[in-house]
Amino acid sequence: MQAQKTILVVEDERSLREAIVDILCLKNFLPLVAKNGRDGVKLALAKHPDLILLDLIMPEMDGMAALKKIREDAWGATAPIIILTNLSAINGNLAADALAHRPTYYLIKSDWKLHDIVKKIESILAS
Amino acid sequence: MRKNTAISTSDEIILKLKLLAREKEAVRRKLAVTAKKLAMTATRLAITAKEKEGVRRKLAVTAAKLKTSYETLEKKVLDRTKSLEMSRVKEEAILLSIGDGLLVTDEKGNIIIINATAERLFGKKSKDVVGKMFSKVIPLENEKGMAISFEKNHVITAPTTSSPTANPSYFFMREDKTRFPMAIMATPVVLNGMVIGGIKIFRDITHEREIDKAKTEFVSLASHQLRTPLSTVNWYAEMLLAGDVGVLNEKQKKYLDEVYRSNQRMVELVNALLDVASLEVGTFLIEPEPTDICKLTQSVIDEQRPQIDAKNLTFSFLCGKDVSSMQADPKLLRMVMQNILSNAVKYTPEGGNIALSIDLAGKKNLLLKITDTGYGIPKNQQNKIFTKLFRADNVRDKDTDGTGLGLYIVKSIVENCGGKIWFKSPYGNVKCGTTFYVELPLDGLKKSTQ
Repeated sequence: MQAQKTILVVEDERSLREAIVDILCLKNFLPLVAKNGRDGVKLALAKHPDLILLDLIMPEMDGMAALKKIREDAWGATAPIIILTNLSAINGNLAADALAHRPTYYLIKSDWKLHDIVKKIESILAS
Repeated sequence: MRKNTAISTSDEIILKLKLLAREKEAVRRKLAVTAKKLAMTATRLAITAKEKEGVRRKLAVTAAKLKTSYETLEKKVLDRTKSLEMSRVKEEAILLSIGDGLLVTDEKGNIIIINATAERLFGKKSKDVVGKMFSKVIPLENEKGMAISFEKNHVITAPTTSSPTANPSYFFMREDKTRFPMAIMATPVVLNGMVIGGIKIFRDITHEREIDKAKTEFVSLASHQLRTPLSTVNWYAEMLLAGDVGVLNEKQKKYLDEVYRSNQRMVELVNALLDVASLEVGTFLIEPEPTDICKLTQSVIDEQRPQIDAKNLTFSFLCGKDVSSMQADPKLLRMVMQNILSNAVKYTPEGGNIALSIDLAGKKNLLLKITDTGYGIPKNQQNKIFTKLFRADNVRDKDTDGTGLGLYIVKSIVENCGGKIWFKSPYGNVKCGTTFYVELPLDGLKKSTQ
């Protein structure tokens, strides 16, 4: 049997975090969780997960700052990271930041089904 | 003998006297003539004197008149000079007191006039900058603090062109290191067809920027806050419906499906409201890239296929063979297509027809045309159809899901992209359906900076 892939879920909203964790467990992934950007960066750099799901608006350190920190790391520079947020990249700064730090995808939670997010994760990990 | 002698003496005397008398008479006559002459001369002199007096008097009157005229003239000149000076001072005062910063340069770019607002804005005194090169004493920079090079500085190059130039992304750093964003309008001064200088109007737009930022932040935050609970409902309902945590009975499935679909409607409404807010705040990102219009349209049609089939609609799509890839923002174009196509599907009764065609219109435009055999738009409401939140009476009861935002969004996008949208709906006793036209410039969209 293939080794379980580790997915780091960085999400401050409990209900959403638990839903993601549930579906990941169900689909045979190994979820790691962090409730803010700072913990997320720590866990990411310590555990080198196969993929990171990253929220943007969070306490302590926001997702964009976390993404920047992870990208500065040698491993993190190429790690697959999906920004999973409800914040539309409608202002220029956010869009420019997102472009600069190269997330693999930028998905809006309310537009995406959980099962489709899992499919996305699977396709990234398969490639 | 003595007697004779005596006689002769007296005769002589008489003779002499007579002679004398005659001579005297002659003298008297002469004198009388002279006197007469003198009298005449006197009379003439008197007349001349009188005449001279007349002339003198006339001259005096003329002189007095001249004096008055001169005085009046002098007063007039003085008044005129004063009023000219006043109006010059007034004009200068007006120029210098304009609420916006004003700077006038000659054709070489040397500063001629700087008004009080500009002095205050730049923290410079008139005496320190007048006569000096504008680009030297007032160096402008871009958002990132980099100096704007001479060639790229439209404010400087404006005098060489004939039209006004406005560029929103200029900044100026004062000597005290405070920085402010400026809106600048640079206009050449043209005299007899020659550019003789330039006028630059500056405005500190710090406040406007702050308002814009606050609006954007509000929109972003509102979107985040509204979408979070919607995502929660979405995801849990989705897992339940998918049977991820056990099988539901039919009734449970039906109820949950209602919850899920209503929630989906809320998501769509929030998305539409966000689009509207973004359009209104002016932060709508336009990111053009080479886009295959026909392919994009086909994918939008495929998305709507279930609804088209469910209503048994006859659908045709024709993409002109000359239509190729163009510079467009696929995200925005997709929104336009989705909205007008879903409207056609929604507002055409079962068994109806929808025809969509895309073709070139002239050399410069792309024309998208979608015709349906639907309910049409009532004549008296046709002028409101692009208004935000408006829904025509005849469709309110047929489709309760609509937000009244779709066409408003479409129009905003199309117009932001330099295109236009219009429709024909010959609504009378017989409903003849509706045709929507969208025309987009082929040379594509300009990338928006904000």
